[in-house]
Amino acid sequence: MTFDISKAWCRNAGAREDGLDIGAGVIAADPMFTHEAGADESPEASRLALGRFINLMRRDQGLSIEALAEKADIEIGELLSLENNAAHLPDVRTLYQLSEVFGVSQEKLMGLSGLTHANDDDYVEEAVRYAAKSASVEVLNEDEHAILNGLISVLSENAKQK
Amino acid sequence: MSKKTMTLNLTEGEMAVLEELCDKKDLSKTVLLRQALRLYQRVEERLERGDKLFFEDEASKEKAEIMML
Amino acid sequence: MIATTPYAVTPVWLTNRSTKETVDAELWHSIVDKNLADWEAEWIPDLQRRLKLLNQQKVERRFWPQSRHWDWRDKLREIERRLANLSFAIVAEDMTQAMMTIDLTKRARMPGHEGQHLVYIDFLEAAPWNRNDVAEEPARFGGCGSILINAAIQQSTQEGFKGRIGLHSLPQANSFYANACGMTDLGQDATYENLRYFELDPDSARSFIEKGKGE
Repeated sequence: MTFDISKAWCRNAGAREDGLDIGAGVIAADPMFTHEAGADESPEASRLALGRFINLMRRDQGLSIEALAEKADIEIGELLSLENNAAHLPDVRTLYQLSEVFGVSQEKLMGLSGLTHANDDDYVEEAVRYAAKSASVEVLNEDEHAILNGLISVLSENAKQK
Repeated sequence: MSKKTMTLNLTEGEMAVLEELCDKKDLSKTVLLRQALRLYQRVEERLERGDKLFFEDEASKEKAEIMML
Repeated sequence: MIATTPYAVTPVWLTNRSTKETVDAELWHSIVDKNLADWEAEWIPDLQRRLKLLNQQKVERRFWPQSRHWDWRDKLREIERRLANLSFAIVAEDMTQAMMTIDLTKRARMPGHEGQHLVYIDFLEAAPWNRNDVAEEPARFGGCGSILINAAIQQSTQEGFKGRIGLHSLPQANSFYANACGMTDLGQDATYENLRYFELDPDSARSFIEKGKGE
């Protein structure tokens, strides 16, 4: 059954509605866009990049988890979680110690971990991209070395800002 | 949308309930039965998904399941 | 399968905001495949473009869930089979200008009308180019909101619900529902993203339909 809506009514209603916005129901609400469509900077992704970085650096230095934990003066459990558990939120001190041992920016490690909100998103995106390229757990091969060098340069204190 | 007609046979008791509900909600018999059909379909949909239907006591927050076959 | 033609069409008229002329349009009773296609191919990219522009100008946007973009077709398929829901679309110049879905099984909350049946508007949205809040240039067509509210009221009357309607308004539309439609503001709803809940009682509904009927 159709409705009875006259042209005159539409004209008058249209005038009344001028300048006003309509919209109802939460599914009509706009999503928030802060990045290019398609980029995924979920906290898990960047924490995975952090874990991958630590893992690659450790193996590059020929250290076991135990040995690195001792060298950096941090808990073994914390280090294990950092490398393997994307949901793990690390200690500020842990990241400071690791940044000293690895010679990279503590601030950037904190940004990756989600402890702080990364002011400049680019390095997070780049770190995630690098980390995504590495997969195995054996001794670093040539490719992995290249990836690790990429990560190191992105995370150093004086990496060029984009 | 074209309409189809149906004849409904109800017992005296059922008719009495129908009329009482219509009076209370100020709805015609057709409208009320249409509502009932809509609700029935919605409930079936959820039950088929594995959901359960509960009434909750406002005061005690206790839930009592409505048994559906 | 989503239907390709609406089961009924009511002729309506929109206002071209730049020329002030009335434009022939149609109110489709049920959202069909063409409307979804317009929504996917035209509304979404246009909205993304405008939001990005606004965001670059550092305009604050509150965070909302994005789920609707991914299962809208599924949701429409669900609604199509359900007796409890109906949908509508306004089409002009062969393009979908606004859409709405309603629920026929909800009840009124307004004091004096508690528990009475009403038409609840689940969702109401205008195409991005018809909005003022994401504007790059002035809105193209006006009147969609009023026509859809009118439709909801008439549906409510046909159902025997006396024209009663209810909805949760998006923040930028509070003024439209309160002032242009004369709805009663029942306050923010903590169970629904703190959106304001509005209702229209039978008398106010009749007013809305009647006013402006004369030439």
